[in-house]
Amino acid sequence: MEIFITGYGMISCIGSTIDESLEYLRAEKTGIQLGAFEALPQYRVGVVPFSNDEIKAKFNISTDGSRTALLGMVAAKQAFEGHKLNDSIRTGLISGTSVGGMDISEREYKNFLEQTNHNPANYKHHASGTSSEEIAKELGVTEFINTISTACSSAANSLMMGARMIKNGLLDRVIVGGTDGLSSFTISGFKSLMIFDDELCRPFDESRKGLNLGEGAGFIVLESEKSLKLSGKKPLAKLTGWSNASDAFHQTASSPNGYGATISMQEALNVAGLQAQDIDYINAHGTATPNNDLSESHAIKTIFKDAIPPFSSTKAYTGHTLAASGGIEAVFAILAIQQGLLYPNLNFSTPIEETGLIPQLKFEEGKTIKNVLSNSFGFGGNNSTVILSAI
Amino acid sequence: MKIISSIKINSTQILVNGVSREIPVAEENNWTKALYTSLELSYPKFYKMDSLAKMAFISLQMMEKEVALSEMETSDVALIFANSSSSQATDLKFIDSYTEKGSPSPSLFVYTLPNILTGEISIFKKWYGENIFFIDENFNAEFFIDQINFYLSKGSKACLCGWVSALSDTEECFLFYITNEEGTLTENELNTLFKQ
Amino acid sequence: MSELRQTLKAQIIEQLNLEDLTPADIKNDAPLFGNDGLGLDSIDALEFIVLLESSYDIKVADPSAGKEIFHSIDSLAAYIEKNQ
Repeated sequence: MEIFITGYGMISCIGSTIDESLEYLRAEKTGIQLGAFEALPQYRVGVVPFSNDEIKAKFNISTDGSRTALLGMVAAKQAFEGHKLNDSIRTGLISGTSVGGMDISEREYKNFLEQTNHNPANYKHHASGTSSEEIAKELGVTEFINTISTACSSAANSLMMGARMIKNGLLDRVIVGGTDGLSSFTISGFKSLMIFDDELCRPFDESRKGLNLGEGAGFIVLESEKSLKLSGKKPLAKLTGWSNASDAFHQTASSPNGYGATISMQEALNVAGLQAQDIDYINAHGTATPNNDLSESHAIKTIFKDAIPPFSSTKAYTGHTLAASGGIEAVFAILAIQQGLLYPNLNFSTPIEETGLIPQLKFEEGKTIKNVLSNSFGFGGNNSTVILSAI
Repeated sequence: MKIISSIKINSTQILVNGVSREIPVAEENNWTKALYTSLELSYPKFYKMDSLAKMAFISLQMMEKEVALSEMETSDVALIFANSSSSQATDLKFIDSYTEKGSPSPSLFVYTLPNILTGEISIFKKWYGENIFFIDENFNAEFFIDQINFYLSKGSKACLCGWVSALSDTEECFLFYITNEEGTLTENELNTLFKQ
Repeated sequence: MSELRQTLKAQIIEQLNLEDLTPADIKNDAPLFGNDGLGLDSIDALEFIVLLESSYDIKVADPSAGKEIFHSIDSLAAYIEKNQ
């Protein structure tokens, strides 16, 4: 059974619509800025330049929610545009998130410490599952709602789970992706791991020092063939491959040889029934930490040997949007397939000494892109790969 | 599918395959440490884990004493875990480290993701299979059975599943190991095991 | 000098949750990291950096510099004495 993609939406520091995001991609312009997160201005981060209230007003959102939920609503609504809820199409929502309603909890905690306007009822937004319930409410989806929390692979895993739900006949249509709002919690945490770069991040570059965080959401709509007939939507692409494997190495670090990443990419190719040479573009996880990029480079070399297709990390554009990254990067994959695009790996100058890989360096159009492989690797050694293909 | 073994632990109850066991005496209310000590294990990393990972690790060890789990170095076992409160207990401790104690603690931050526990199990067992962590309002037997079906039909030979939850006042872990051997599992049976 | 080493051992046991160990179990010149030593890992190294900053007011900006500094109790004590 084929899994069709019939909608996509994203919001991040490079835009709150697909068109705005494409402008940045085309112009090879990053959305990461020094001081973009007001509470901790010393960091370079990718922030959506609207407050929670502004997001609600600008995007006609009627449901209350944390930043994670609101960003998710913006992207999920874009993805679901033109779709109608209908009794004969069983529709679900699966969302990945790692911080859930942390921004609201932080605000309330501060209010509590300062004993001003403290409203404990607001902690209801904290649980990660609440953000998915809120996004579903905004869309009117009630049949099946689920939340995945596997760190930075959360959105990729929600794509995988959605595909399986459809394949096994449990749903006809499902909105899948991920969302994470930036919070002091996340910034403090990554600071403690000492994997920030004070400058703009440089994925796959020998001089890379670490990542820049970002925030955002990316969602796509998956449909079965039966659902497609009922919804009348025209498919944009197909989800053909998915896989998840454990790296079984360390809580946060990837294994030096990228064992889990290798299993994940190979298994996704198997599910898609494709060979390595069928892949036209790899959207790498490429966080720009010394550890990830080296490990992922080894894994890419293991799978693709001497014929490595164009690859890049788009995180130098958006920052690392954590649980949202697999959703946002799935949107980039769909655009690549539809419009024949290749995205540059910004800020690259020198290949990693051990592996020598050179990523895609320019924005290109008019290519024939049939299959895109997209990696998302999370803490906990949770490694996922999805493959999106042309119709 | 067939349930081979189940473990349920909390501060007042230890059930191994449905049979109640004596609870070791805990000092300073540290029931997971008491249980770890009673198992006579040597895995110093245990002390570094958060309560979610500690409970999952202990339950796994208790299960290993009862049944032979799949051999090391395998992709045959899928890990399917869930809870309703994510890593909330550790989240609060981590917030405390940078708001009250001056410096964010890396060892706490690591555990502010619930799926680190599936990572810990994978590392300990050298299991390279699928692993996933869901956030759901309540333990949902139907959902678990659907998921298990996906994995077993896809080629996994077994699933290690769990509902592990840690809040400041309640900690509990329910773990079950299910294989593709001939057998059936109904929602009722699974709910009964969970609620026992 | 040995007083600093004793203090460090106690601090490390507490900060890194090494509950099975006592200060007497940690030798001054034995490697702290890797399987030959105490089996500490990269997260423990980051906790060392937090410890140096909070207790000794010493900043280590580059985590990769930690390898030599945190090799053993001796090297850690020497680094603290040199930089304080």
